Formats: sequence, C-alpha cells, structure tokens
Amino acid sequence: MSTPPTSDLDLFADEVLLDPLPFHAELRETAPVVHLPKTDAYALTRYDVIRDALADWESFSSTSIAFNPAANQALTGTSLASDPPVHTQLRATLTENLSPRALRGLKGRVEMKADALVADLVEQGTFEAVDALARAFPLQVVADLIGFTGHVRANMLRWGQAAMQVLGPMNRRTAESFPIAGELYAWCSQVKAEDLAEGSVGRGIFDAEARGAIPEGSAGHIIHQYLGAGVDTTIAAIGNVVALFAAHPEQFRRVRDEPALAAAAFNEVLRFWPPVNVWGRIATRDVEIEGVTVPKGAQIAVLLGAGNHDPRHYDDPDTFLIDRNPVDHLSFGYGPHGCAGQGLARLEAHAVIQALSRRVDRLVVGPEVRVPANITRSIDSLPVLEVIPA
Amino acid sequence: MRIVLDRPRCEGHGLCEEAAPRLMHLDDEGELVLDREEVDGPDAALARAAARVCPVAALRVA
Repeated sequence: MSTPPTSDLDLFADEVLLDPLPFHAELRETAPVVHLPKTDAYALTRYDVIRDALADWESFSSTSIAFNPAANQALTGTSLASDPPVHTQLRATLTENLSPRALRGLKGRVEMKADALVADLVEQGTFEAVDALARAFPLQVVADLIGFTGHVRANMLRWGQAAMQVLGPMNRRTAESFPIAGELYAWCSQVKAEDLAEGSVGRGIFDAEARGAIPEGSAGHIIHQYLGAGVDTTIAAIGNVVALFAAHPEQFRRVRDEPALAAAAFNEVLRFWPPVNVWGRIATRDVEIEGVTVPKGAQIAVLLGAGNHDPRHYDDPDTFLIDRNPVDHLSFGYGPHGCAGQGLARLEAHAVIQALSRRVDRLVVGPEVRVPANITRSIDSLPVLEVIPA
Repeated sequence: MRIVLDRPRCEGHGLCEEAAPRLMHLDDEGELVLDREEVDGPDAALARAAARVCPVAALRVA
C-alpha cells in the first residue's frame, strides 16, 4: 500500500477560490486522492471516488465538514455534522419540514413569485442580476416560508454568507465571519414561535416541537439550517443560471423551445458550476482508495466540481450542455447527507428558469464580478445591460 | 432481482420516478410506491438507473 501523491496547492488561496476548476482538474488528473499539506487535507478528485466516499459514512465521518476546529465544534449536534444513528433522527426532523413532500403545496406560490419578479426585471430592461434576482428571490422565498420579519429579513444575506464562510480554514475570511455567524446562532438560540409570521412553516416547526413531534429545542436548530445552508448556496445557483444562460444563448434557446428541459438545465448548471466548491469529511480509519491509503484522522476535502468535470464519468465535461441532463451530478452531495434542501432549491430554480424562458429571448450581460469565498463559489455582481424580451 | 427501498430514508425527491416511471411513482401524499419489486431484463436496468439517481441512496437493487 502506498501513500497518495502530494501537491503544494492551497485550496483556499484567493486565485484558486476565484476560479477553482482548472486547479482542481490538475489534481484530478494527478490522482484520485492527492495529499495537500498546505491545506492539511487529502483531496478527493474523481467522480467515483467522491460518490463512494459520500455514501460511506462509516469511513468518512461528517464530524469534520469544516476546515477549522472551532466551526466543527460549533456544529456538533446538528444534522449536518453528525453520523448515523444520531444523524438519522436529526435528518428526519429537518426533512419533516423541508422534503418535497412537505413543500408540495408551495409550488404555485413560488412560481408566481418568480414570474412576477422576472416580469418586473424584463420591464426594467437593465438590472443587476445578482442583487435583483439571484439574491432577491431566494431571500424572499425563505423569508416568507419561515415567516421572518423585521431585522431578521435584513440580516439573512450576511448571516447566510457568514455561515458558509466560517467552514473554511482559519484564514482572514473565516475570522471575520465568525462574529456574524455568531449573531445568527445567537438569534436562532432564542427565537420563539411568536417571532415568526402566523401560518408560516417556521410557526409549524414550533408547533411540531410543542406537540412533541420533534425533539425539544430542535426548532431553533432547524431554522438555523434553513438560513445557514439554504441561502448562500441557492443564491449562487440562481446567479449561475443567469450567467450561463447569457453566456450560452443557444443552450438557453433549448429551454425556451422545450420548457420541460428546465430540470435538465438546472442539473447542468449545478454540474457545471457547483455552488459548494469544497466540503469536508474526516477518515475514521485507514482507508484504501484505488491502491493508496488515506490515514485515520485525515481531514478530507471533497472537490465536488472536480468530480462533476471528470471525463471518466461525463463526456466532454467542460462543455455546458443542457441535453445531457446530468441528474447524478455531485453538487448536492450524495447519500445520507445529500442536501436536505435540494427539493426547495429545485422548486426555486425551476420557477426562475421557467419564468426566464417564458419572458426572455436573450440577455446581454457585462462582466461578472467574483469575490473569493471559502466554501460557496458565487457571482457577486452581474450587470444585465439589455433584455431582449420574448 | 429485487428493488429494495429504505423507506425512512426516502424523502420523496422523485428522481427515481423520472428514471423508471414503469416501476415506481410518488402518490398524492408524496410517498414513494413501488409498483413492481421483482424485476428482470430491461426492467432491471431501469431499476438500477432509478437506484443510481436517488440523491439520498434510499433505493438499491439486490
């Protein structure tokens, strides 16, 4: 048994975070597992290896999803950072309110909101796509869903960004974000049913707690997960939808011609540019992967985008192609920890894609601006200079 | 071959139904119903495709 090859790449260096895929591709073509001393982690780089590791919670524990001990400590006891059997109960509590089953009554309202927002933007003709659409829409959907009012609504974006940022290594970004993530945590620790709008899902979570359907004290944790995991990632995904449709008008045309391709389009957007750039695990034992050993206790860095662009799994992986409908992409993770909010993410994104394809013929955009972030890779601003309406 | 559903793990994402509508569907409550459990031939391939796309690994073919 041999040790994995080593690379001196720092996964969290600014230039890597801004444009990770070429760096990750180099690792992937080096080996399926690469030791990164600068990041103090073992990177998983190929599709099969990543998917197998995400399914194998016994070998790859979620108790170290973050790349610094303070964040892992803070996440102890959440669904995100626990393993079965504890995870199974926490996850069930979370998905009770978040599964497609729970959300199925919501579709019409979400679609109406998306259509109204897109109609308004088309009318304006020029707009900043990230603020006016990618951020505005998920913030509105989640706020209305959970029943946030007042100052919480105003804080959702910075709280959501900070909650992801602090999962990185203890760099400047992480250090600056800890106090903000702390505000979110503190608010969720004391939020009460009456702080949330009547008739909201958030109220329902508290009702479930009151009647003993979910464990006492879990309502605040669930609301924390909606804000911490569901905001920044969905914003990234919707921003990417707009940017990729603008950059590939012939692909957008496919969705316009065949509206049923909305789901395939979202799968391809997620595959092409995963909102979550890197995610952690920890090896619970010496694990053999394709002839090399990852030592017990090793921090694992799962490179979802490297797997999504693995030519061993997808033909011509660096081409954006909606018709490939890559339903098995890795961007939601996979297995017991597969994104708990993926049903809501699909609901939101499909609604936006359908509204765009109904109302827009073509978008002319200016240069996109990106700001390096530890975990979420998203566009920070994207000017739409002209809308050619449908 | 047999389709095995880990019911507590199933969250009703419905990707399996898209892959193999002949073998399974979500009912009005959003619960997965296996219309066939024993499969062979082309249905076995469909069942494997359905298991493959389950995002939470709640389905397998044994």
